[in-house]
Amino acid sequence: MIHDSLIRERLVTGGKTASDVTRDIARPILNKPSTAWKVGFTLSVIFLGIFVVSLFWTLWTGIGTWNINKSVMWGWDITNFVFWVGIGHAGTLISAILLLFRQKWRMSINRSAEAMTIFAVICAAMFPVFHMGRVWVGYWALPLPNAFGSLWVNFNSPLLWDVFAISTYFSVSLLFWYIGLIPDIATIRDKVKTKAAQYWYRFFSMGWTGSTRTWARYELISLILAGLSTPLVLSVHTIVSTDFATSVIPGWHTTIFPPYFVAGAIFSGFGMVATLLVVARKVMNYENYITIGHLEAMTKIIMLTGTLVGIAYLTEFFIAQYSGVEYEQYAFLNRASGPYWWAYWSMMFCNLVSPQVFWFKWARTTPWFIFIMSIVVNVGMWFERFVIIVTSLHRDYLPSSWVMYAGSLTEIGLFLGTFGIFFTCFFLFAKFLPVINMSEIKTILRNRE
Amino acid sequence: MGIIDSNLSLRNRNKLLLGIWEDEDKLVEATSELVHAGVKIQDVYTPYPVHGLDRVMGIRRSWLSIVAFLCGATGFSLAFWMIYYMYVQDWPLDVGNKPVRFSPSWVPVLFEATVLCTAFGMGFFFFLRNRMIWGIKPELLDERQTDDRMVIAVETDESVDEKKVLKIMKDHGAVELRESNGGVQTTI
Repeated sequence: MIHDSLIRERLVTGGKTASDVTRDIARPILNKPSTAWKVGFTLSVIFLGIFVVSLFWTLWTGIGTWNINKSVMWGWDITNFVFWVGIGHAGTLISAILLLFRQKWRMSINRSAEAMTIFAVICAAMFPVFHMGRVWVGYWALPLPNAFGSLWVNFNSPLLWDVFAISTYFSVSLLFWYIGLIPDIATIRDKVKTKAAQYWYRFFSMGWTGSTRTWARYELISLILAGLSTPLVLSVHTIVSTDFATSVIPGWHTTIFPPYFVAGAIFSGFGMVATLLVVARKVMNYENYITIGHLEAMTKIIMLTGTLVGIAYLTEFFIAQYSGVEYEQYAFLNRASGPYWWAYWSMMFCNLVSPQVFWFKWARTTPWFIFIMSIVVNVGMWFERFVIIVTSLHRDYLPSSWVMYAGSLTEIGLFLGTFGIFFTCFFLFAKFLPVINMSEIKTILRNRE
Repeated sequence: MGIIDSNLSLRNRNKLLLGIWEDEDKLVEATSELVHAGVKIQDVYTPYPVHGLDRVMGIRRSWLSIVAFLCGATGFSLAFWMIYYMYVQDWPLDVGNKPVRFSPSWVPVLFEATVLCTAFGMGFFFFLRNRMIWGIKPELLDERQTDDRMVIAVETDESVDEKKVLKIMKDHGAVELRESNGGVQTTI
């Protein structure tokens, strides 16, 4: 017998009905953009402009505009790549893994987290693509019959695995996101008034009517896609970590990298989801849908994954000393006490120490504090990648090659610019598509057991 | 049985009897009652998935999971063949004296290709079976069926006792009853 739960806390508060859900969530789409939206969008476009200028400068002059050199051949670019790819993991994690675990609180946040995934992967892709230098021959990375020499791609190379992993992850996430959007696009289609909007929402709704036959298949495909995406999400960051782990650079050549990177990705992804949603729920009046309970659940995951990442930092430090390999020992001591000590200790503070405040209920339930913490997490995770990449490279086996490295203005511009890409896409998404999955939210209004 | 589900189109149908609901529990009760009374339900339209409704209507479990497996197997085979051809047959590449025949380093590409083909193959057949394509005109029976209202549509012919159908609908919480004749709806 189905009945309403008496003890379980409601996931949607405010006694909403199905039509309230449609009205509340479609409001930003049906109305003219708010001032907050306009200001945010304009700022994002300015940052997008910074990206365009920096990219133009990179392409016009060459990779020499970056400060990378013969020792530190990977710098801000790969740091930023891993940073964005990591952020891109929370979306699919929330949709897929939490769906398999039947965590219904995911329903309020999965749509925006999936959108975030897609935009973050676009930002991530910019860095390796343009680091290739001659981007117009970027298709050489694909396994194409080679008309220019006699070689195929190298299937032993993790960089090739990355090409497959990132492109698969991006396209499967896009498909998952789009299939999830179809019923909501249909809802919007039946609400909009202008001719142009009616045309486009009808176009993308693919004739959706809400037939039970279609819903049955829809639920099945969502489940299978979730089952597929779960190992996919784990594989992608595992493969990203093998970019480092399969090399023989001290500090990179460790077997702990795959789980450590995956935990870090989830950690940073949830950090970014929290940054976006704490603001969005306030600005868009979604407090009844993204409740304090949702924020609390996210902070618990942040604390768990932050601690996992912290354990990984301590483990790799210990193993390096215990290994008896002097290069490994030196690499790690150099991280903590060498010229980049500030980056190492920023990472330690932001990722291991600071999430521990979430043991306290106040910290888990105070939105402004969660917002600040989410920024701290993002900063910490950027430093993690910087530490791994730059401190391992700047002092290699040959002391005469030892150099220092700092990002050039162009590299900084490119990084800031990707925030422009990310937020421009996100603001457009928030204006034209429902930020919360309406059709899923409607199934949990009754708080069923 | 064609790949495209012929039950979905409402074109060229006989008269449809429509009941409108606002409560999902009553909708499921009504559907169950109609099925028990031997009435053939054309379809039930809901703004969100109502759990168990497909079983009440007697819809068979979709073949989509088998299709997904076949697509995955195809993707795996194609990727294996691709790597084998490029890396073993056509131009064996010696990198650090690592084996060119099957080695664990093939696994990432095999895995990603399998996932890619499974997802997109399954997606393709999902859209095909549900006759979903960009730009197709939706056949709506109520303008709020994607918002908060639920519709049961029963197709009638000589064998259907319309009065009985309407009575079951009314007794089980239908807020409105209509009939649709060639797309023109009238309230009963």
